[in-house]
Parts: sequence; C-alpha cells; structure tokens
Amino acid sequence: MTLPPLDFSKLSLRDALDLAVLIEEEARDRYEELANQLIVHHTPEAAAFFAKMARVEEIHRQKLHERRCQQFDDEPTSVNASMLFDIEAPDYDEARAFMTVRQALHTALKSETKAHDFFVKAINKVKDRLVVDLFKELRDEEVEHQNLVKAELAKLPPDAEGKTSDYADDPVGL
Amino acid sequence: MLQQSTTEAAASRAFKPTDYKSELKPIWCPGCGDFGVLQGLYRALAAIGRPPHEVAFISGIGCSSRIPGYTTAYGFNSVHGRALPIAQGVKLANPELLVIVAGGDGDGFSIGGGHVAHAVRRNLNLTYLVMDNQVYGLTKGQLSPTSPRGLQTITSPLGSLEDPINPLLYLLAYGCGFVAQTTPADMPGMTAVIEQAIRYPGFSFVNIQSPCVTFGEDDQQLKVHKSSMKPLASLGHDSANLLGALDLARAYGTELHTGIFYQNPTPPPTYEALVKLRQADQAPRAVAREHILDAYLQK
Repeated sequence: MTLPPLDFSKLSLRDALDLAVLIEEEARDRYEELANQLIVHHTPEAAAFFAKMARVEEIHRQKLHERRCQQFDDEPTSVNASMLFDIEAPDYDEARAFMTVRQALHTALKSETKAHDFFVKAINKVKDRLVVDLFKELRDEEVEHQNLVKAELAKLPPDAEGKTSDYADDPVGL
Repeated sequence: MLQQSTTEAAASRAFKPTDYKSELKPIWCPGCGDFGVLQGLYRALAAIGRPPHEVAFISGIGCSSRIPGYTTAYGFNSVHGRALPIAQGVKLANPELLVIVAGGDGDGFSIGGGHVAHAVRRNLNLTYLVMDNQVYGLTKGQLSPTSPRGLQTITSPLGSLEDPINPLLYLLAYGCGFVAQTTPADMPGMTAVIEQAIRYPGFSFVNIQSPCVTFGEDDQQLKVHKSSMKPLASLGHDSANLLGALDLARAYGTELHTGIFYQNPTPPPTYEALVKLRQADQAPRAVAREHILDAYLQK
C-alpha cells in the first residue's frame, strides 16, 4: 500500500472525514462494478457477494457522511476523488469469470487488509490529534471487517476441484 | 444558441469521473486491464473538465474498441483498423471537439498500421490510446503484431517466429510529438499520462499495457506490472530528449518503462490550424458557392 500524494501532516478533521467518505465511495463503486462484471459473465453467486459488499460500503459511507455534516455542515472540502486510488476498493484484476464465493471473499479480505494498511501508514503522517483518533477508529474497524469476512470464509464448504481456466474463455452471451 | 448556453452552463461547473460513465455495462472479461484504463480515462476527462458533449471517442474493432459505448461522450465504434482516418475526419469537420482514438494493438498496428504514419505526419490534435495486450483477445487469442517471438497461441502452437512491432519506436520514428507508455497497474500515473496526452497540442500517442486476462501471458498481468514497471521519471529521463527517448524505447518488450518518453517542447502547428490559415489566405479569392461550377460550365 503506497500512500496517495497527499500532505497528511496538514489534514484537518473535516478533510479527513471527507477522505474517509471518498474511500468508502470508491470501494462501493468498485464492488458494484465487479458485481456487474460477474453478472454479465454468468457468475451469480460471487456477483451477489460483491453486490452485498457494495451495500455494506454504502452504509459505511452514509455514516461517515452524516458525521461530516453534523460537525462541519456544508463547509467546502479540499479533497476530491482524484486524490486517491484503490485504498479499500478491490483491485480490478481480482475478479475472474466463474470465480467462487470463497475467491470473492478472499478478494474482500485483501481489500480490508489494504485499507487497514492505509490507515496504519497514514496515522504516522498526520499531525492533528482528532485526525489521528479518527484514523485509529477506522483502522480498528477494518480489523473488525476482516474478522467478519474470515468468519464467513470459515462457514463455506471447500471449493470444488477443477480449474476455472479450463472453461473461462467460453463466449459471453447477454 | 441552445448549444452555446449548455456549453456555458457546463463550463461553470466541475465534472466528476462518473459524468463520463455511460449506463452500458462493459462485457470485457472480469479482470481485464481495460477496466482500469476506462476508470483512468474517466478521471483524466474530469481533470480536463470538458463536458461530455464536447468529446468524441472513435475506435476500430476489438475488445478495447468498445470504449466509446462506455462513455457519455459522442462515440463511433467504427471499422477494423480505420479509427484514425475516421477520427481525422471528425476533427476536421468539428475542430472544437476533443477527439480521442482508442483501440488495440492489432487494430492499430496490423489492420490499421498504414494509417499511423499519416496521422502522425498530418498532426491533427488527436489523442491515440492503444491498449496493447499482445494478442487478439476478441477473436480468442491469435498472434497480434506486438506478440513476443516464441509466443504460443492457437495460431502459433509451436511458437511465433516473428519479432513484435515496437509501437514506441514506430511512433517516435515517424515524428510523433508526444509518446508515452503506461499501465493500469499504476492508476495515478496512467491517469496523469492520459491527461497530459490530451492536453498536448497535436497528435499524441499513449501505449497502454493492458493485460488480456484470458489469453495473455502470466508475466504480462497487472500484478507483475506492479512489481516490474520502471517509471521514466525515476530513471532521470528528460521527456524533451528525443535521442534518450529512442534509446529507452528500444527496451519495449523487455522492460516496462512507464511515463512520457518524448514530448516536443516546441509543438509545431496542427493540421487544423494550418487549414484555418490557408482558408484565411484564400478568402479574398474565394468564389461564391453559387458560382463554383461556373468555371466548368464556361468550358
């Protein structure tokens, strides 16, 4: 995880909250994209999981957004979406046609780990005490999310044997 | 008048990447590099800030050539290998449009290879984005002009006997004023390069190493790009140095250099600018439209 080119030492609580909202927004949009990709490619179970993740990220986004509005009303922000890439959003190349729910859960786990690493690194850079507290809170939430994904993984039966690449190049029908 | 007022309204607000995203869902294989390219493109367009109705995407045929459909800009998913001539026509017909040409390595360097030289020397203000995946993915994995020697595909089961085309050397040798290479494995870098290519006043070329997840080689995938890419800036390369760019471009296929190889520090006038000058020069001698045929009729 490489930190985005932001001056974290000057990050205010308002901008930190906005950044957190944008991180959740990007993750939500990416999960939606992956869900759509898998629907198109006849992988409904993993698509349903990614769609669920998109809803979860949207709930997180809403909570952070409400907090931002309560504390700072409609004060203008100085951060925008172009300042960050793939903080909590799963990487595009994580999706595969015919991926299993287990593989989808592993994708989510990697993303939660990535987000955790971001907050760990960012905490070392920020100066504002309130921002440190916010990032610590968000870092700990990422650990909780990882545990939730791990618990889901533990419930799953093992994947069936066989290589998905054997049939992954079948023509796509819409 | 309506167009003018919508343009003025658009100019007064900032655009978000999602403003350029259409409702059409891409049908690329999950994991395809083109998803990242598309996302970078949306972001670059938002940074440029031109409203979608002032942008046109022209493409040929292939997986990456589906891009026009996935944007809210004007688009023409045209004929195999003919994206460049069509884009030049669009730009000449409406020079105010921001015209972006998108396609794959097969469309650009095999079927449409002959058009590249002429697009470069004509120097219209176009941006040509090639999603180079070293294979014909849409038709299920045949050799393409950038396939490496030895590549085994369904059309070369014993391995390719040919060397690949080097797109970077090719464009530099023709005199292209802006030549860059990037990968969606480096989203911030790729977005910045696309934005700079669009801003370059003349024909600009970006070779985007966009892996084919279904038929591509394992060592060409995004995870490998992440660890193997070498940003030109970190090598101390000066993008105004053409000879340095030519030297670095020779490593295409063995090294993944990313960033701007060459940017002409003194861009020559574009073709459309020269056409305007010619029109102004000829205006005093212009014949009224209703008299154009007179010269022929008098014979």
